[in-house]
Amino acid sequence: MKLLKPSWVNHNGKPIFSVDIHPDGTKFATGGQGEDSGKVVIWNMAPVLREEDEKNENIPKLLCQMDNHLACVNCVRWSNNGLYLASGGDDKLVMVWKRAAFIGPSTVFGSSSKLANVEQWRCVMILRNHTGDVMDVAWSPHDVWLASCSVDNTIVIWNARKFPEIVMTLKGHTGLVKGLTWDPVGKYIASQADDHSLKVWRTMDWQMETNITKPFSECGGTTHVLRLSWSPDGQYLVSAHAMNNSGPTAQIIERDGWKTNMDFVGHRKAVTVVKFNPKIFKKKQKNGSTPKPSCPYCCCAVGSKDRSLSVWPRYAGLWHVVAPTVKPYWSKAPQSCFLTSLKRPLVVIHDLFDKSIMDITWTLNGLGLLVCSMDGTVAFLDFSQDELGDPLNEEEKNAIHQNIYGKSLAITMESHLSSTIIENPEMLKYQQERQGNQNPNGAQGSGPENQTPKLTNVLNGESLEDIRKNLLKKQVETRTADGRRRITPLCIAQLDTGDFSPALFNSVPILPGSSASTQLTPQISSDSSTANSLGLRPSHDPTTTSPNKTAEENKDSGPAAVNSIGMKSNLLLTSASKMEPMKALDSRFTERSKATPGVTSVPLTIGITPLDRVKDSSSVKEPKVKDETSSDSEDKIMAKPLSMAKRKGEMEGAEVVEKRKKGRPRKDAKMMMPISQPFPQTPVSAEKEPSRLITPVAVLKLPTPSIQKSFSTQVSTDAIAYLEVENEVSVVSGARLSQLKWSRDGREWDTLLTSRITIATGSSDIVAVACEDRTLSVFTTCGRRLIPSIMLPAPLAALHCSGHFVMVLMASATLSVWDVQKQTALVKNESLNPILSGTDATVSQSFLTQQGVAVVSLSNGKTYCFNSSLETWNLIADKQDSLVQCADFRNCLTSQDALGSMGPLALTQGRNLSAGRLASRLSSTPHHLQQGMTLAFLENQLSSALMLLSASEYRHWLLIYARFLVNEGYEMRLRELCQDLLGPVHKSSSSSWEPTVLGLRKRDLLTEVLPVIGQNLRFQRLFTEYQDQLELLRLK
Amino acid sequence: MAKVQVLNVAVLDNPSPFGNPFQFEITFECMEDLPEDLEWKIIYVGSAESEEYDQVLDSVLVGPVPAGRHMFVFQADAPNTGLIPESDAVGVTVVLITCTYRGQEFIRIGYYVNNEYTDPELRENPPVKPNYTQLQRNILASNPRVTRFHINWEATLDKMEDSENVDPAPNTMLPPTSMPSKAPPLGLMPDNSMDCL
Repeated sequence: MKLLKPSWVNHNGKPIFSVDIHPDGTKFATGGQGEDSGKVVIWNMAPVLREEDEKNENIPKLLCQMDNHLACVNCVRWSNNGLYLASGGDDKLVMVWKRAAFIGPSTVFGSSSKLANVEQWRCVMILRNHTGDVMDVAWSPHDVWLASCSVDNTIVIWNARKFPEIVMTLKGHTGLVKGLTWDPVGKYIASQADDHSLKVWRTMDWQMETNITKPFSECGGTTHVLRLSWSPDGQYLVSAHAMNNSGPTAQIIERDGWKTNMDFVGHRKAVTVVKFNPKIFKKKQKNGSTPKPSCPYCCCAVGSKDRSLSVWPRYAGLWHVVAPTVKPYWSKAPQSCFLTSLKRPLVVIHDLFDKSIMDITWTLNGLGLLVCSMDGTVAFLDFSQDELGDPLNEEEKNAIHQNIYGKSLAITMESHLSSTIIENPEMLKYQQERQGNQNPNGAQGSGPENQTPKLTNVLNGESLEDIRKNLLKKQVETRTADGRRRITPLCIAQLDTGDFSPALFNSVPILPGSSASTQLTPQISSDSSTANSLGLRPSHDPTTTSPNKTAEENKDSGPAAVNSIGMKSNLLLTSASKMEPMKALDSRFTERSKATPGVTSVPLTIGITPLDRVKDSSSVKEPKVKDETSSDSEDKIMAKPLSMAKRKGEMEGAEVVEKRKKGRPRKDAKMMMPISQPFPQTPVSAEKEPSRLITPVAVLKLPTPSIQKSFSTQVSTDAIAYLEVENEVSVVSGARLSQLKWSRDGREWDTLLTSRITIATGSSDIVAVACEDRTLSVFTTCGRRLIPSIMLPAPLAALHCSGHFVMVLMASATLSVWDVQKQTALVKNESLNPILSGTDATVSQSFLTQQGVAVVSLSNGKTYCFNSSLETWNLIADKQDSLVQCADFRNCLTSQDALGSMGPLALTQGRNLSAGRLASRLSSTPHHLQQGMTLAFLENQLSSALMLLSASEYRHWLLIYARFLVNEGYEMRLRELCQDLLGPVHKSSSSSWEPTVLGLRKRDLLTEVLPVIGQNLRFQRLFTEYQDQLELLRLK
Repeated sequence: MAKVQVLNVAVLDNPSPFGNPFQFEITFECMEDLPEDLEWKIIYVGSAESEEYDQVLDSVLVGPVPAGRHMFVFQADAPNTGLIPESDAVGVTVVLITCTYRGQEFIRIGYYVNNEYTDPELRENPPVKPNYTQLQRNILASNPRVTRFHINWEATLDKMEDSENVDPAPNTMLPPTSMPSKAPPLGLMPDNSMDCL
């Protein structure tokens, strides 16, 4: 074992609370106290590992430092994929960092150390929820969730795919939560707190699985952290500070029954941190000296407040039980000793630090170990394989998991199959591409190349120097209405936003796949903020309390402030004679200028020349504004329920109005893309009424919309068209005429009908109108009547148009769909009986897809479509479906897929398809069962998309399905899928194979599927087989 | 954390005659689009002894500020000599650049400024009444003193809306040790100031 204390890893002497090595092993992060702030530093690993690199001045040691945390950073953790770094600190925040590719080295402005940041890591997300210091953060396996725990006694589970969404807040601890660890299998998360308990929570339902208190009941003293750890095989959980016979221990908890029979003893003070080696080891074979086949074992490092570190290997299934009576047998051991007996630690190192050990991290190969301490230093331990054993490769590790849990944890196998020979050059290409995609950051050195182009891009090829020369002349300066100068800054680089950066949502035009609600939020928030600044301030000015209070407060704080100033100046004065102006001036750097805030700026205005007065009047004016805002915020702090409620009410009102005004056109345009307006967005009740249906009695009957005097609706076309209806516009010789008016882009037409109109709707091609007299009229978008009025057998309940299709749902609970272009009936008076009978469900929604498939959703969460060739109702979505709840295919989603598909299927199932939300892949259901459920679910989706004739969704689900098959190794199904997509290679008349599906060429689909298959080396034969055949067909 | 980070301030036209306008080229980076303008100020400290002699040379609004890296040159007229105590005209003083967002100051950049006569004769025997035309202003550009303050970047309403992601109460943001007696009178967020020097 080698031991190194790299002195250059420090926070200028300030405590280092956390250390974590990047998954690629090239760098590590430390977190702790900075100068009056929290500090996160990213260091290069190479100088730690190799002495020659440490001496080489060209190899940077410090890669990046971030001072953004406002208070001490307690924990830093890399995501498993290495793309993100999460940090939590005393400022109650969790920050998520991502490497920015576009910027070159830079320094922290104003910092004394002129060390350049070699890498740029920027905060892409701030997670605010905790009300106390964040003590520990942890990424779940596969980075699905990020957990953070805090002294506010809670644990927050964040959705790492959709920050800042909170999946769950785990409440139950009654003391400060100081440590977190995920079960490597992903089924549990464990937390340890000052409340003398360790709790294990299920990830399936986020309920508490067990609460372990006994080993902790004696725990008296508090430690800063309680970082517990789960063994890589998932079988054991080892706690931080526990007590046994009044001696400090690290409690071993067995997964099986949460038994607490064993512990690590020996440390003289509380254990602060336990960290399992990520590798599983097997005994080094020494020329047959080990007679029996060696069992794999895990290895665990324990750090304590007693400033010593111990490393314990253990054999799976052969836990060496440390008897509680055993005295700390190594507490007076020499500086460092090796103990070969299994019942003892492999190594104990005393006096490694001057203060408590705070965090431990292992290198990926399992042979190195970084430890950090409150004393502000870190130590690196390097073991040899002789000491720790042979680390199992990932495949062997997976085999162990497979044995224990029936499933492999490594879904992506590519790195572990590195020994497999790649037989096909195409395959190699996909493998390489895949690797390239996975590490967009690339190696450390890849920075500058991809940085410069981006910058120049923004600058239109001008060099920054040129721009700087002329900036003053070129920059746009205007005057605001009140005469103030306003400069438009020159944008020299756009922010390369992370995939969940808020900026992305704010600035990027709406993505077709993202849900309407996310699109709306930025709008709403900005609206409400304007509402705030406009409407609210005056509103609570009259409330007498608040001005009084602010005045009082000003009085309170005023003299105080004056006092302190006064005292200061007194001090200054007394020593002024001798004092260098520098010192007096120094204070000015940190104190906020009294010239800025209102009151004290008054003397300044006195005696100002008329010339300056203009300028100053503006600066005097603005403090007033400030006063207002401040009273605003003070109000908030006071949280006066009355004014709060009042403001809130107003806010909502204002918001709604704003939303209507601003949001509508855009929102609607989005909502309508593929479907012809399943639900018109207009507040017209006539349109909504048909959806809220009464419970059918014996005879099925759907309610009909009431007749309104006038209403208007929007029609989805390329540009938005409006339909306006005015009933009984005029009475001509006893006949009541109703007017239908259509307008788009200034073009408009109107027509008259002889009966009152109940529903009007339209598509890009037609306009359909139903009247009170049970007639249905269809017009072109130019107002020409297409067919004479259709006489409906019953009053109309709902009417939809899409393309050339018209769908009517009649009050008699029958459905008809016509193609008015071909003048044919697709569905003729089909009863809803099959789907409605036997339930007390009602029709909650109905719409027509662009392909003319009628879809009816019921209030019981089921959605059916009517297939006119089979003449059957087909269940396409069921919200209660257990398959949906348990299916888990999230690891088969690519980043584009994550946005969801767009189409009728998505619409019926809800865009964000909570599939597997509860029971993730890591749920309690046995793996094979869940695998089966997911498979069934995906196949359902595929067939539903097919039934709905929704090509894009078919393709979407096909690719997910293919990925799932590839990941889970369903070779037979994969082969069948490929075969169907490929079709017969040789033409034969007997083949009933259709070359297309929903207008998509099957072989094109296969070309898309093949790269997916190519990502798993296991299937390289299959890949080669179909790749070759496709190639062959292409050549023909 | 701060949405706006000042990356660099370059002092232009330095050293220069006392009467020349101040020019600072400011580069800053913004994490997300700011709905409101930033307000920058240049404050000239006329006398070390009293803030009475502070002069706001100018203030500008800077916006719109989308996410990204931006730069601009802030030019402001030289201080009004009539407001500077005669005894403080020559020697070292300070110029401050401050930036506020929604009326809250979040960064303060200070530079030492040395005003001295270029003419050796004047330097040796400075006139009682300062001769501003002969004074040279030298800003110690290499040694900025940066103080950052924590402010509330969100509109107050956003917080009420987004109940899931509420900011902790602003006044509890403060580490207990740093509660300043010099509480800013404006209900600004109590600062956690960090002097980067």
